[in-house]
Amino acid sequence: MSLTKSVYNLLFRRTSTFAITIMVGAVVFERIFDQGGEAVFEQMNRGKLWKHIKHNYENKEEE
Amino acid sequence: MMSLAARSGAFSPYMQATAFVVPGPLKSLIPGVVVKGETILVDPKKPFLCRESLSGQSPKTGPAVTVCINGCAGVRFAHTDIRIPDYSDYRRPEVQDPQKSSQDSSESRRTFSYLVTGAATVMGVYSAKTVVSQFVSSMSASADVLAMSKIQIKLSEIPEGNNMTFKWRGKPLFVRHRTEKEIATETAVNLSELRDPEHDKDRVKDPAWVIVLGVCTHLGCVPIANAGEFGGYYCPCHGSHYDASGRIRKGPAPLNLEVPFYEFLDEDTVVVG
Repeated sequence: MSLTKSVYNLLFRRTSTFAITIMVGAVVFERIFDQGGEAVFEQMNRGKLWKHIKHNYENKEEE
Repeated sequence: MMSLAARSGAFSPYMQATAFVVPGPLKSLIPGVVVKGETILVDPKKPFLCRESLSGQSPKTGPAVTVCINGCAGVRFAHTDIRIPDYSDYRRPEVQDPQKSSQDSSESRRTFSYLVTGAATVMGVYSAKTVVSQFVSSMSASADVLAMSKIQIKLSEIPEGNNMTFKWRGKPLFVRHRTEKEIATETAVNLSELRDPEHDKDRVKDPAWVIVLGVCTHLGCVPIANAGEFGGYYCPCHGSHYDASGRIRKGPAPLNLEVPFYEFLDEDTVVVG
């Protein structure tokens, strides 16, 4: 209860702080969402992407 | 007003027009009859929550008028024929009970509302930003086009004092390896003599190498290297003379030869574009 109250008074009460909260939240959310999606994609395609199999070909060239 | 009309004694029959059928030019099919309203049984067990839930038990007849000297003149159940929906399904649980003060839960309800609004706006901002950036980046050149737009030049193949022409973005590109004497001459040129004043230092990154577009700024001909009165370039079309820094010195051209963006990867290689 006190947490919601402090959150409300600190962030949501004024329109200016509410807007800033939304902007900062959008930046944070973008990073989390994009990087999370990227991580999920790489996890599902493990061993198929170029950066996962690149070292195999690099070793052959050196030999 | 109705009670006043009812209590006015002998005049009352004349003052209440509704009690009598007034003969008119149009004869109604059904004569006006005052129907006695049904008795309404109020369910006392049903909880009386709020005004809206009253619609389940309030009288549902139309306006009923009774006239009597001692009794009340009329009871009108205003708009009881309109069914008011019960909104208790849509209310938050904190405000279902009309006996409880809604102020106690206002803080949490308010925070929740703002939280939902803020989260929705964050999603909206993110989606708008993604859509706009995707759309804008779709208009920029693709990677293969960008790769084609660059040219890598090996400088060791160009002997000193010579000029080599390359094709870059469909245009000729002059790379000139200047001698010490040419560098000294061009740096010493007084800027007031020039039509398009630009110092030699501003046109080159390494004084030994002059990289300019081989397009005459007059009408777009390709100048001839190591020709003309100033030892730089000479445009055969209308006789513009450029010096060894690609600056216009004589003839109709208005501007110096254009310097593209380039950078030296190392001592031997330069990448233009």
